[in-house]
Amino acid sequence: MNAETLKLCGLIILLGPLVGALLAGALAPVLRGRSHWPAILGVGAAFAGAVQVLRVISGAPVGARHLRVPIYSWIADGAGSWFNVEFLFDPLTSVMLLVVTGISLLVVIYSRDYMRHHDHPERGYERFFAFLALFVFAMCNLVLGGNFLLLYLGWEAVGLCSYLLIGFYYERPAAAAAAKKAFLVNRVGDFGFGLGLLLIYLHFGSLQYDVVFDLVQRGLDAAGQPLGEGLLTAIALLLLCGACGKSAQLPLHVWLPDAMEGPSPVSALIHAATMVTAGVFMIARCGAIFSASPTAMHVVAAVGALTALFAATIALVQTDMKRILAYSTISQLGYMFLGVGVYAADSAVFHLYTHAFFKALLFLGAGSVMHAMGGIIDVRHFGGLRRLLPWTFATFLIGSLALAGFPSLSGFFSKDEIIHHALTAHWLLGGMGLLTALLTAFYTFRMVFLAFFGRERVPEGVHAHESGAWMLLPLVVLSIGAIVAGYVGFEPVSRRFHEFLSPVFAGTFVARNPAHAHGAHAAVASGFWAHYGLMVVSGGLAIVGILAAYLIFVAEPWLAGLARATWPRAHRTLWNKYYVDELYAGGIVGPARTTGRVCVGLDDYLIDGLLWLITAVPQGLAFALRGFQGGAMQSYAVTMVAGAAVIVLAVFWM
Amino acid sequence: MEQQTWILTAVIFAPLVGAFLLWLPPYGDDRSVRRSALCFSLVTLGLTVAAVVQFYSASRQLGRGDPAYLLQHYWPWIVSAAGEARIDIAYRVGVDGISIWMLALTALLMPLAIWSSFTAVRTRTREYYSLLLLLQVALAGVFCALDLLLFYVFFEFTLIPLFLLIGVWGGAERRRAANKFFIYTLSGSVLTFAGIVYLAYYSYTDSQYITLNIEELTRMGQTGFISPRVQMWLFLAFAAGFAIKVPLFPVHTWLPLAHTEAPTAGSVILAGVLLKLGTYGFCRISIPMLPDAARQLAPAVAVLAIVGILYAALAAWVQRDVKKLVAYSSVSHLGFCMLGLFSLKVAGVNGAVLYMVNHGLSTGALFLIVGFLYERYHTRDIEAIGGLARPMPWLAFFLVFFTLSSIGLPGLNGFVGEFLVLLGTATSRLTLDGRAAGPLGYGYVIPAAGGIILGAVYMLWMCQRVLFGPLKEPPHTPDTATGLSRDLTGREIGILTPIALACVFIGVYPKPMLDTFKGAVVQHVLRSPAATVHTQDTPGSDRSGLAALLGDETPVAVSAGSTASYRSPAGGEPYE
Repeated sequence: MNAETLKLCGLIILLGPLVGALLAGALAPVLRGRSHWPAILGVGAAFAGAVQVLRVISGAPVGARHLRVPIYSWIADGAGSWFNVEFLFDPLTSVMLLVVTGISLLVVIYSRDYMRHHDHPERGYERFFAFLALFVFAMCNLVLGGNFLLLYLGWEAVGLCSYLLIGFYYERPAAAAAAKKAFLVNRVGDFGFGLGLLLIYLHFGSLQYDVVFDLVQRGLDAAGQPLGEGLLTAIALLLLCGACGKSAQLPLHVWLPDAMEGPSPVSALIHAATMVTAGVFMIARCGAIFSASPTAMHVVAAVGALTALFAATIALVQTDMKRILAYSTISQLGYMFLGVGVYAADSAVFHLYTHAFFKALLFLGAGSVMHAMGGIIDVRHFGGLRRLLPWTFATFLIGSLALAGFPSLSGFFSKDEIIHHALTAHWLLGGMGLLTALLTAFYTFRMVFLAFFGRERVPEGVHAHESGAWMLLPLVVLSIGAIVAGYVGFEPVSRRFHEFLSPVFAGTFVARNPAHAHGAHAAVASGFWAHYGLMVVSGGLAIVGILAAYLIFVAEPWLAGLARATWPRAHRTLWNKYYVDELYAGGIVGPARTTGRVCVGLDDYLIDGLLWLITAVPQGLAFALRGFQGGAMQSYAVTMVAGAAVIVLAVFWM
Repeated sequence: MEQQTWILTAVIFAPLVGAFLLWLPPYGDDRSVRRSALCFSLVTLGLTVAAVVQFYSASRQLGRGDPAYLLQHYWPWIVSAAGEARIDIAYRVGVDGISIWMLALTALLMPLAIWSSFTAVRTRTREYYSLLLLLQVALAGVFCALDLLLFYVFFEFTLIPLFLLIGVWGGAERRRAANKFFIYTLSGSVLTFAGIVYLAYYSYTDSQYITLNIEELTRMGQTGFISPRVQMWLFLAFAAGFAIKVPLFPVHTWLPLAHTEAPTAGSVILAGVLLKLGTYGFCRISIPMLPDAARQLAPAVAVLAIVGILYAALAAWVQRDVKKLVAYSSVSHLGFCMLGLFSLKVAGVNGAVLYMVNHGLSTGALFLIVGFLYERYHTRDIEAIGGLARPMPWLAFFLVFFTLSSIGLPGLNGFVGEFLVLLGTATSRLTLDGRAAGPLGYGYVIPAAGGIILGAVYMLWMCQRVLFGPLKEPPHTPDTATGLSRDLTGREIGILTPIALACVFIGVYPKPMLDTFKGAVVQHVLRSPAATVHTQDTPGSDRSGLAALLGDETPVAVSAGSTASYRSPAGGEPYE
């Protein structure tokens, strides 16, 4: 592969959005309502770079699709290089770059209209585009980085952009609180992530992917000692902690639903298609470490399966469209974790890729609804929109079908693959995956039916209108993607996606998969009915879910009320998201603040009190002795005589 | 002293000249007084830049790893070569890779602090600005001093201007704050003085040669002439002064009060530079001169540092007073600094030194911003103000920026220092960098990293309250009577911008600073390995071993044991 070309592409991918962000901010007084142009051009350049990277990498021989390109020494300390700014190019990078820059470009285009009302740019228009472009820079940094430190840099930087964009409407207290919550919950995850990095450095003496993974593969640490599995498990679990924060997995999922306070394009890009998948990307990237520790893999799979099911149940009763989509994102990310956890990293990345299309589509569609409804997104306040917003409805329907796993759409193929691998690993994991698939179809179409079907209702005083071309174009492009994207990885048509990624995972997830070791996987993979039979089952479940939603919410609407009345406690628990927020507020935040107050009290009373005592001793002494210095001659004489007498007596008695 | 260089003396005493010139008759009104004060501090900044340039060219001529302090200037003070005892106590200044940057930090912050006082200070301006300039003399002196007595003189002299600055121009409780600050820090440093005297005495009993030359004493300490028991006592004596200055938990209680009551410029210098005198003292005196004691007491110091990190962070979180919140955050941050120093590893000490600079920049800027707020709203109560991002976008930008710098966002300065500190602490036990195993380890990192979470908690909490949500202002504010605009004025933006640029630069490209630190850390702070086998550097090589990565060019065959290299005082002539 041509290192110079790749280096140039990498720099364009990074600097394009960065320059775009700076220009959008700096030229705001000049550009005003045209501030979207620097962002669109910058992100567009990044997308072109990503396409070029894909061409270069796929043009290289399969064995040589891995290249590290150093840029400059970052945190360096004289002799050997410490930590460089360097890029790593391989198929995984390439796929991620395409997804990130491609979706970003569409979202930036969409935002041009979304962020204005009656063709007047919203307050903070330029700020929005500057942050959005900055996000693309940060995310590309995360993906391109050739060592853990750059991964961490990108990791924190996307968190920052997420913070800034969730809090875009900072005057709304809910938005400000949600932004802070997102940052802090991620910090908790990064706590583990950072400790994991230090542990890696401690044992491998480097943070560079190539060095670390090579040592792990050979089972040695930097000193040449054999590695214990316990160490790898510890590292993997610490890294997983970071992944759970960024990808909103249990128990750190609480920030993502609140993050919907941000503008819809932000939810589509950052909180659905790209940033939240960073955890999956990181685990896939660190395949050498994770796959070497079966314990860690079990934990990853369990976290994924549990989160998928957990979030899907909450989504059943929510009424805010964006929150339903947020829980669905958490649930789909759970699928990806499940996929990685059962050694099917390529399937997980495949799902990441298809998910990016249909989930971005759904969020942008929800944004289009919100735009039309004057900022209201709760399905209790409107309904029957399919005639008012025909384009939005059509594209939203496609996205929903893909999410629900309706056969022949992209989500179906990727989800089915993960469930297939999960079933191979353990029936319980697969069962949870199937149950989640059923729930997914149900809650997705509950939302579709409530919003677009039934009697036409719009909030009072709202003049509903279909969105303009700037918004519809990305919706249409993404719908096409949601339909066809899956075929690059659907076996009868093409295995190109998986074959492209296979060199990345060959030595790790594939080689260490216990299912392979027992020869079972080969049998399952080749067995036509074992695979396509599952497709029939999961496709059937999707259809059942959709029909059930139709029955309950369109055909016989009283059934929904009956269900709620029959199980009020279950409904309340789900409505309150299992009370996790309350648990954290009461169990962690409250006690911590109390401790803080105790600390201040200790400062003011205990420590200062002790010091007061210390200073009081000489003061008291001085006070007591002051009497001797009264200035009266007689008392001096008396004291002198008494003193002399004491001395004389003492001398005699000695 | 083969070569005299005047530049450091000029840097130290230029503000002194300025402080006197301010009293000359032509400077009648406030305007000219403050402008001339700013000019003098800018001249000092220019001289400091010249010193940095000279330092770089001199160190390039010498090549890397040379142990000398550069730009030395020597003037005999208490010197006697004849008779029973030779005495060598002198005005001796010089800088190495650590102190040059501390000096630069001082020179950068002082003009900004002076500039920030233009609208805030209206009474006794002549006295005010001359005290600030005097303070700069003392601070620069501490960082340049190569003689312990000189160090101590400057170290103590910092108290007087700051005492007056707090006591005269401070807030409502200024008297109490000034007294507490003065007595607290003075009582600690009295013990430090006792330590210095004993060190002089010890050098006398050892060799009939009284010296307080820091280089000589360092050599003496590192080659094991001071017995571990004596080291222990000396360490405690020095620590009494330095720990209070840092401030290390539990002797930090003077700081929140002093900070809240000090005028803005006072807080900036106090947090930005003065606190570093403590950590600087540890890294220039305690650790190099008393290496065995430092090693032995390091776990205890580290535990205090970690307790301080968490304790102060929690305390910061419940403050209603913005200034107190930032003050407590200083206590928490300086805990990281101490942790890095006492990892006794190149990476950790490097990180700690960078942390000193970083903390000076970001916390200094935070105090400036709080000061700007106070001038407009006459309150520091977080509950009383809110939603300022809309009327004050520039303020919001800078507050968020420095918050991010302070909580260690990668790409900004704070992260580099924090990361190196944690890295040094985690790898402290490893011997692959050619040094004896350090005293700390991975276990210390875990609670310290918890402090990083808390750091984000209280800072973002403060940002949310002050900047976001619906607008909330006390009645009859903002006060624009003094010519302030609603958002930051051009002057105020001009004050914050250089600091912000420095933050970005250090975050993106810290190499120049880390390079100079490293030479100094290896030569002047950490005990040089007992038997050093100098190996050729292989520049640009991509060695993956720890030794290469820790960047230490002196791998060693025999690591220095803590007591093995101790020689009895009768063991011969230590000085050439």
